[in-house]
Amino acid sequence: MDAFLRMEHVSKRFGDFYANRDINFSVRRGEVHTLLGENGAGKSTLMNVLIGLYQPTEGTIYLDGKKVRIDSPAQAVKLGIGMVHQHFMLVEAMTVFENIILGDRNTRGIFIDREARTKEIQALSARYGLEVELDKPITEISVGAQQRVEILKALYRGAELLILDEPSAALTDLEVEGLFDIMRKLTGEGKSIIFISHKMREVLRISDRITILRAGRTVCTVDRTETNGEELANLMIGRELAPSHYEKITEPGEPVVSLEKVDYHKESKHNGLCGVSLSVGRREIVGIAGVDGNGQSQLAQVVTGVLTPDAGEVDLKGSRVAQFTPNGFILESVSHIPEDRNKMGLIGDMSVKENIVLKSTDTPQFSSARGFHLKKRAIRDYAEQMREKYDIRCTSVEQEARNLSGGNQQKVILARELEGQPDLLVAVHPTRGLDIGATRFVHDTMIDAREKGCGVLLISADFDEILEVSDRIVVMFEGQVMGVFSGKEPPIQEISLAMAGK
Amino acid sequence: MSWDFISNLLLASVRMATPLIFLSLAELYSQRAGLVHIGLEGLAAIGSLVGFLVSLITGSPMLGVLAGALAGILVNMIFAYATISLCAEQIVYGMAINIFAPALAAFIYRVYFGAGSTLVQVTLMNNLSTTLGITSDNFLLKLLLDQTPMVYLAYALVIFTAIYFNKTKSGLNYKAVGEYPKAAATLGINVIGVKYIACIICGALAGMGGAFLTTCYSNTYVDGNVAGRGFIALAAVIFGRWSGGGVLLACLFFGFCDALQIRLQVGSFGVPYQFFQMIPYIATVVVLALIGMKKAGPKGAGKPYLREDR
Repeated sequence: MDAFLRMEHVSKRFGDFYANRDINFSVRRGEVHTLLGENGAGKSTLMNVLIGLYQPTEGTIYLDGKKVRIDSPAQAVKLGIGMVHQHFMLVEAMTVFENIILGDRNTRGIFIDREARTKEIQALSARYGLEVELDKPITEISVGAQQRVEILKALYRGAELLILDEPSAALTDLEVEGLFDIMRKLTGEGKSIIFISHKMREVLRISDRITILRAGRTVCTVDRTETNGEELANLMIGRELAPSHYEKITEPGEPVVSLEKVDYHKESKHNGLCGVSLSVGRREIVGIAGVDGNGQSQLAQVVTGVLTPDAGEVDLKGSRVAQFTPNGFILESVSHIPEDRNKMGLIGDMSVKENIVLKSTDTPQFSSARGFHLKKRAIRDYAEQMREKYDIRCTSVEQEARNLSGGNQQKVILARELEGQPDLLVAVHPTRGLDIGATRFVHDTMIDAREKGCGVLLISADFDEILEVSDRIVVMFEGQVMGVFSGKEPPIQEISLAMAGK
Repeated sequence: MSWDFISNLLLASVRMATPLIFLSLAELYSQRAGLVHIGLEGLAAIGSLVGFLVSLITGSPMLGVLAGALAGILVNMIFAYATISLCAEQIVYGMAINIFAPALAAFIYRVYFGAGSTLVQVTLMNNLSTTLGITSDNFLLKLLLDQTPMVYLAYALVIFTAIYFNKTKSGLNYKAVGEYPKAAATLGINVIGVKYIACIICGALAGMGGAFLTTCYSNTYVDGNVAGRGFIALAAVIFGRWSGGGVLLACLFFGFCDALQIRLQVGSFGVPYQFFQMIPYIATVVVLALIGMKKAGPKGAGKPYLREDR
């Protein structure tokens, strides 16, 4: 069958770094083609090239057999390429109707012909089963409905090729079903869809073909009918699911932190906790597995004193916590690697050395008179030591933290949080966006901390990471604990069922 | 209170509201494109001086207004380049315009007329009734005809603005730039272009508002003649919920306060006149306090728009 879109030998370079290298990728008419790959595999870059936000360094794009140059998003729209971004591009203050016709160039006239446009939109929405209420403001409709508006928006502009970037991430199960129905209708009418996701179950259900990207390159393209989840996972990661590098511990020490029936906004399925009981012992890494947005963030914030639970008890090193304040937890030597290093973990405008001592500026080591006067020299020397020890690659410790690469930023945080031997480390997505070397370093450091008697609560959406380092695995789904499993020879099948809420 | 007093008060309100309408519309066009501009005071000052000079030299107040608009655009291009192309802080640059432009106006005035010169006066723009040769004491006729063309222009602009933002495609795109520039850009709307156009409109309207003061309102230029109208306009936009019609009502309200305070000053003895002068400003503070809690302005206002960076 003829390809509708062909991308040949496409490369995109940023400085010395190839985000895409010699990518070959094609999409047929009427198919759902999935782009599969880990974070940083180059999916977003490739799509940004396709919609005209980036110019490829090399390579050519063919549409319908003709060579095309896509130098702006407007050009992509003209060529019939539409994208539904992961973070919706909807103007909240406007109605559904206004959002759909926004930027319209197909119709003549100065004024908005409401009646005619409404008819056109309704025809489209009826044809593809995209139900929307045109007169409602965006703020008053559900996330699923907002997504339908985005799809309608693309179709209204005459999209023949639709890019859906992690469309199911924010949807409920029922909404995902609805989305799949719509996708099938669209492909039935000859439209092509590029589907970006890393939820294996969904990928296997909806795709016709799957292209796997790894480290900026195409690994291969496979037919849905000729593959299975295991093979895809292996292709994506680039190795057989290897047994863990680390020795797992089965008998941890006394608990450092324990939660007893903790509730937080428990009616909220995706941002709350409902009756969570768990404990982390000394010399133990407890991994929280689960799809992002099932209460993990809230759990991390409760055990670091950022949020106060609505009900339930939290014990820290055997004594009940009465007041939840971040400082109180820090004084009890709880360390935190927050989920967003740029927002919570570091102060980007401050230097590496300042970020390293941020939590201990009051100590006699770095200041006299409790932080009144900083010992600049001592801070500098200490930062140099940490730079050495944690292999932080920066031009100098005076460099602004924001200018470091993600991996090195994370090392700055590790240096701050793990020096001084915490009793509990709460690590949230500690390797998100890091390359393999940096990831290994973070894991080694966590294991080291464990050996020194620290309890680690690891929260990660990366299942492999959980399997790799956890001594015990706790699965969370919609704010609840679905099960606790051993980290030594983990029952993968059962765990993945629990992650899906079964 | 006599009918005379009331009718004169209402007539004056309309007159007083006119410069505010120009300035508020200037602010509205700016904010709708995501640019919070607190420098209208400065733009109006330069507009009022240039308007004054040109109408003095040419003898035509109309040309004066036109020149005021051009001067406003010119000065506002500093703000535009800094905030749009360089992504500088809008508040800081607005403030810079407020400090720079009135000083520039005062400087030009001194250079042109020399220090300590006698007060120079220009002829004001004619009222429509004078042009048509109709004189009447009828209140309605006076309200409709005893006005300069600038007043009609102001109301026409309000109507145009209301239609533009609510009924036209271009107006919808314009609003999207102020709300969510990234979304607008993905739909092929030229975000940077719209923002520059906004600055041209804003500069022109603010310059005209300033020129109104020296070509239609008072026949001389004095430093500080804008007298906080640039800031009242800012309040009027918030009070008017960022819509053409709302802004008009807000301006009429503030214009009424202004007209009232002048009349109270004249009509009462024993109370220091400064107390009455405070009325428009106190009204501004009160109105903002009452309405400020429900901010509903453009979401992207005040934030710079950076094109896709990695």
